[in-house]
Amino acid sequence: MRGLSRLCRVVTAVNRAVAMGASALVVAMVAVTCYEVVVRYAFDAPTIWAIELARLLLGPYFLLVGPYILHLGGHVNVDVLYARLPRRIAGAVDVLTIPIIMYFAAMLLIYSAPLAYSSFAVGETSTSAWNPQVWPSKLAMPVAVVLLFAQALVEWARAVARALGRPDPCAPPAPEKLKA
Amino acid sequence: MTSEFTLLIMFTGLVVLILTGLPLAFALGALAMLFTLLLWGPNALVITVLQTFDTMTSEVLLAIPLYVLMAALLQRSGIIDSLYRAMELWFSRVSGGLAVGTVVICTIMAAMTGIVGAAVAAMGILALPSMLKRGYDERLALGTICAGGTLGILIPPSVITIVYAVTAQISVGQMFIGGIVPGLLLASLYIGYIVLRTLISPQLAPVGNEAGQADWTVRVRALGALVLPTLIIIGVLGSIYFGIATPTEAAAVGVFGALISAALERQLDAEMFARSIWDAARVSAMILWITIGAKAFVAIFTGTGGADFLLGFIEGLDANRYVVLAAMMLILVFLGMFLDEIGIILLCVPVFLPVIEFLEFDVLWFGIIFLISAQMAYITPPFGYTLFYLKGVVPKSIGMLTIYYAIVPFFILQVLGLLIAVAFPQLVLWLPRQMIGG
Repeated sequence: MRGLSRLCRVVTAVNRAVAMGASALVVAMVAVTCYEVVVRYAFDAPTIWAIELARLLLGPYFLLVGPYILHLGGHVNVDVLYARLPRRIAGAVDVLTIPIIMYFAAMLLIYSAPLAYSSFAVGETSTSAWNPQVWPSKLAMPVAVVLLFAQALVEWARAVARALGRPDPCAPPAPEKLKA
Repeated sequence: MTSEFTLLIMFTGLVVLILTGLPLAFALGALAMLFTLLLWGPNALVITVLQTFDTMTSEVLLAIPLYVLMAALLQRSGIIDSLYRAMELWFSRVSGGLAVGTVVICTIMAAMTGIVGAAVAAMGILALPSMLKRGYDERLALGTICAGGTLGILIPPSVITIVYAVTAQISVGQMFIGGIVPGLLLASLYIGYIVLRTLISPQLAPVGNEAGQADWTVRVRALGALVLPTLIIIGVLGSIYFGIATPTEAAAVGVFGALISAALERQLDAEMFARSIWDAARVSAMILWITIGAKAFVAIFTGTGGADFLLGFIEGLDANRYVVLAAMMLILVFLGMFLDEIGIILLCVPVFLPVIEFLEFDVLWFGIIFLISAQMAYITPPFGYTLFYLKGVVPKSIGMLTIYYAIVPFFILQVLGLLIAVAFPQLVLWLPRQMIGG
């Protein structure tokens, strides 16, 4: 159990760090977009790269934040029935439904990893005027779904613990909020 | 397997899955993956993933994190407190003045941010105690805050509007501008109601005599609070209207403006900045993850001939087009009782779009009508988000039932606003058509 508990905390901590890092990308998106607006209207010298760079950051930005949001319970759901369930029953329902998240993540991984790899292998470019390589943006997808799969596994273990009325394997020593 | 049968299983599966509390993003995504694979095989899934890569670099969707960040910064910027102090100085001696002022502030906030929670929570903390202290009727005060807070859905910039425009494949800029007149119409209806109501029964909103003592220099100085919001609103909406910047570019400039405002109000520090950054990431990731599954799910609906089936069905009905419109609105309102508006748009709009076009309704106009009804969903029990935001900040003595009663007159005003927009499409369509460059 100690090993499991440790794994839970490590996965969650990694996803937290990744999410915090990815969330900072918005600063770059704002900065380059503002830069574009200024040079275009103030100096009449539009760039070919600014808006495209911001667009390439969007995927990594939202994809890499997703796994940690799963931990926080921040993905919107319908809780008409779910919120009324006793804690242990709700845990049991989660034990059944969280594998669906793993299926989703696994399918996305199976189909996105080869695409991201071939994009890297052939040095695929965006064919725009700036024409940058696009694999770093595409790579975010397989990476995000691997992290999502790992976090789903952790949440599954926590759901099992809830269903059995055991303590949260993720909780000590750093308590995290259950549902945001 | 016939296509109707497939669709039936798919939608039933979706309903069952989301009722278990599984997040919408994953319920949609997993079902879409499974059915794509079963119906069309692995190659079709490759296409699904390629489409997701497209979503990931959409310039329009890029606007979502930027507007959410702008809202998160403005919410913490202290602007709303300054606005409130100014409003109190100017309005407190007018009949129903604080309630009218609350609607005005909500409108200004709505024009700066695209998130509903921001205005409701702030007004619940600032305006509610001061209205109650002055002896305002609880219901009038609560209803005003609820209704005013939802104006953000319609008045641009609005994140829900962006999601609608992307899904319906129309211009975000036009959609934004189209929300202005109906949004101001609703705000005027609220204000008109408050003024009439308090003129008829002045005991609902006693006029204060203590705060009104401020002299004119203090009052005029307080108006300085309006400068920053005005600049931001003109900067963002003006540049979209005059075709100077795309909605995405305007958002980035808006974020910059929000930062400056927060700095001038001396609220900008590392913690406030970090919290805003995280808020933006949380909300954007939640929305954008849903788009992955929703797009694939809807592709199956269209691919299996579901859209043709629906169209054939409606043609067969031979009903008046306004009856069909009403039926569609009722479906949306019903779904709004259970499902988040973003999810409803991503799922229903692609399904309804061919029907709207077949009936020769304007897609932009339908979007605005939908946004007005979305406001109703936000203040309607059992699952109006606004009600819960407000419940979190009101004094314990006020129960949920009081809040429910409080919204009734405002709900009726929203219905009135909806009917006006349906009856006079020009109210919605005129301003976007004046835009430069569309």
